[in-house]
Amino acid sequence: MTTEQNLIPIGKLLRADASSFVAGCRVKDMQNPKFGALVKVALEDGDEIFGLIQNIVINDDGLVRQLVSGMSIPSEYTEDNRYNRNLPVEIHVLTVGFKHQGKVSHQLPPKPPMSLDKLYYCTDSEVVEFTSHGRFGYFRHILRMEDQPVEELLVSHLDKARAAHGDKTNLDWYAQACQELIVSLRDDYQRLANVLNALAELE
Amino acid sequence: MDDYLSNLSGTTQNPAIGYVVGGGLEANLQVRLTVPAQDVQEGAFVIMDSANWRFYGLVTDLQLGSTDPRFADEQSASRLPAHLNRLLQGQTLFTNLAVMPALMMDRGPELGSPAYDSWRELHADEMKPIPVKTVPSHHSSVKLADQADIAEIFGEENGKEIFRVGETREQGHGVCLNLDKLIQRSSGIFGTTGSGKSFLTRMILAGLIHTDHASTLIFDMHNEYGPDSTASDTGKPAPGLAGKFSGKVRLVGLGAGTDFGSKPADFNLEIPFSDITPEDILQLSQTLNLKDTTPTTLDALESHFGQNWFVEFKSMRSNATEEDENGKRVPAPDSVEYWANQVGIHAGAAAALHSKLGRVFNRSYLKETPASNGLNDIINNLEAGRHVVLSFGPHDSDLDYLLVTNLITRKIRDAWEARTNLFHKDKSKNKEPRPLVIVVEEAHKLLNREMAHQTIFSTIAREMRKYYVTLLVIDQRPSQIYDEVMSQLGTRISASLGDEDDIAAVLSGLAGRQALRGMLAKLQPKEEVLMLGWGVPMPIPIRSRRYDDKFWVDLLGEPKPPITFDGGSKKLGYGDDDTD
Repeated sequence: MTTEQNLIPIGKLLRADASSFVAGCRVKDMQNPKFGALVKVALEDGDEIFGLIQNIVINDDGLVRQLVSGMSIPSEYTEDNRYNRNLPVEIHVLTVGFKHQGKVSHQLPPKPPMSLDKLYYCTDSEVVEFTSHGRFGYFRHILRMEDQPVEELLVSHLDKARAAHGDKTNLDWYAQACQELIVSLRDDYQRLANVLNALAELE
Repeated sequence: MDDYLSNLSGTTQNPAIGYVVGGGLEANLQVRLTVPAQDVQEGAFVIMDSANWRFYGLVTDLQLGSTDPRFADEQSASRLPAHLNRLLQGQTLFTNLAVMPALMMDRGPELGSPAYDSWRELHADEMKPIPVKTVPSHHSSVKLADQADIAEIFGEENGKEIFRVGETREQGHGVCLNLDKLIQRSSGIFGTTGSGKSFLTRMILAGLIHTDHASTLIFDMHNEYGPDSTASDTGKPAPGLAGKFSGKVRLVGLGAGTDFGSKPADFNLEIPFSDITPEDILQLSQTLNLKDTTPTTLDALESHFGQNWFVEFKSMRSNATEEDENGKRVPAPDSVEYWANQVGIHAGAAAALHSKLGRVFNRSYLKETPASNGLNDIINNLEAGRHVVLSFGPHDSDLDYLLVTNLITRKIRDAWEARTNLFHKDKSKNKEPRPLVIVVEEAHKLLNREMAHQTIFSTIAREMRKYYVTLLVIDQRPSQIYDEVMSQLGTRISASLGDEDDIAAVLSGLAGRQALRGMLAKLQPKEEVLMLGWGVPMPIPIRSRRYDDKFWVDLLGEPKPPITFDGGSKKLGYGDDDTD
């Protein structure tokens, strides 16, 4: 992730609540949002709200339905639909913390971001700063989720964060994160087994 | 040295091995282990610091646990990368120690803080461990005890009464036994044949003789303690007590001609008939298969002949008859039957007793008039602070052992009782009697359920120290010893025992039996012993000290070089004191 990329917003706020928010982007920008990435919303007062991309939703409309049910779709139609379409891709973000006056917190922000606020990727140094603050307090927001592929989100996040922390052979942060997960989930055999199996695939 | 000083200041060098997670006084404390289980063994001596208090305990069990049984069932190593597996096992699979808390000690505020000095003034004498009355708090850190902790509890070897018996099994810290406490009450040393019991006994006896706070009388049934011998397993020479303490130990042979192999006896013991009492015979009831009528007959003998009953009875003839003036066969005047008829007891019973006592009559060490008064010599030697090893020589049957040990012990105890009474009557004129330890081998023969009521030994065990005489019981079948006697034994030192009943017997009357039982059952033969009972502050299994040249050097110092012609006169001139 280059710094340049981080200056380009990946979407704008559609709606928000205390613990999550949804941003939208154009279909043509679809290559940008990545599942499990740490993102932030910069507020007007200088504070930042951090979140993990927990879901990316592509909605249909009448035209797509008609096109899909057609016999064959000319490539211009597909192109046109993707570049000029009015429906945004929805980026669902799980709020995991905020930064107030330069201080990171893993609590939920006092108020959610406003609509049309811009969504950015975090830089590697921001990822390192956020994830190494305290003792993995933000995991609780992830582990609280229901009806979501929590394990996948965790593993995707750990993979990206580990890369941000640098040398893959330096397992300090990663090992501590794994340990924290094991401690949090040790009384839930099934969930821990899922997480560990998913983590094992990273190796 | 630095280590030693920092130990004295109360900081323990050993790293933590775990932390308290539960349990109580009744059930053992549960300690979550944070080091590999192989670093700790059953029987390890551990300390737990909780606020101002230090707790001392004994690991009695190690248990494998898991937060969920499925984590234990699943062999995760094959599915997960090594580092994840390690992390997982560290969190979900664990080992718990069961720790039996035994003692606790108030250590006051932190050493060096101003509060400490004022606390110390208030509690000048109270810094000593007391039996545990409360529990350490959750998460108190647990460490293996180091040398200073062990010295705090078991004392520090001082070349005298604080005698090192062995080392802790994990870290090899010396563990001592207070020999003064050992002899304050009767004690026991147990272990099966080949468990190292004899060498252990020999070392403790060496310690007792070296300390010289009590005289010892050793009934050496198997000729093990006095003369030098050879270790049966290593084939190396094993020095005996007489050689090492030549000035202090008297070797006594039972009966004329009994010697100690290569060494002649210092004197021989012959017992005059007049010393034998009816009680001595009654104790042999089982061995001689005596009838219920025996006490009556003996009573009649004693009242008729007094002190000379034995010799008179011996000289009677059994079944001797003569013709009376009517030509009828009647008992001869020197026959048993004649005497029985005279005193009005059953002639058949008297004759039966006479015939059964035949085995006693012809003991060669029983004499009408012995050449010397060996019994008095023994008593005089013991009173003079020397130690006596009595060898049975060829007289090694149960009959000899029972008869002689009882007879001698009774005489000696009477002498000590008389001295004690004199001492209590007028303490200014009479010396306090010298404490005496009587060492009995094969003690179950003297102290079994049937015999215990009759022999003098159970009386001594019960009286404890009243007359300054205590027992050191050595046995391989403690279950055969009458439990009432067993429960009186203050200090018990046990090498490995195979039999369940023997193990239970050694632990009888002690707290925490259940926990100690397994420990005792798993002692390694020849190497490990468990010390427990009143005389030790808390039970502890140890690797026993080796009985070798080093032991003697540690105890007595370097042996003196043989005196050469050149150096001899000089040496003699300076009158180098015999350390023995």
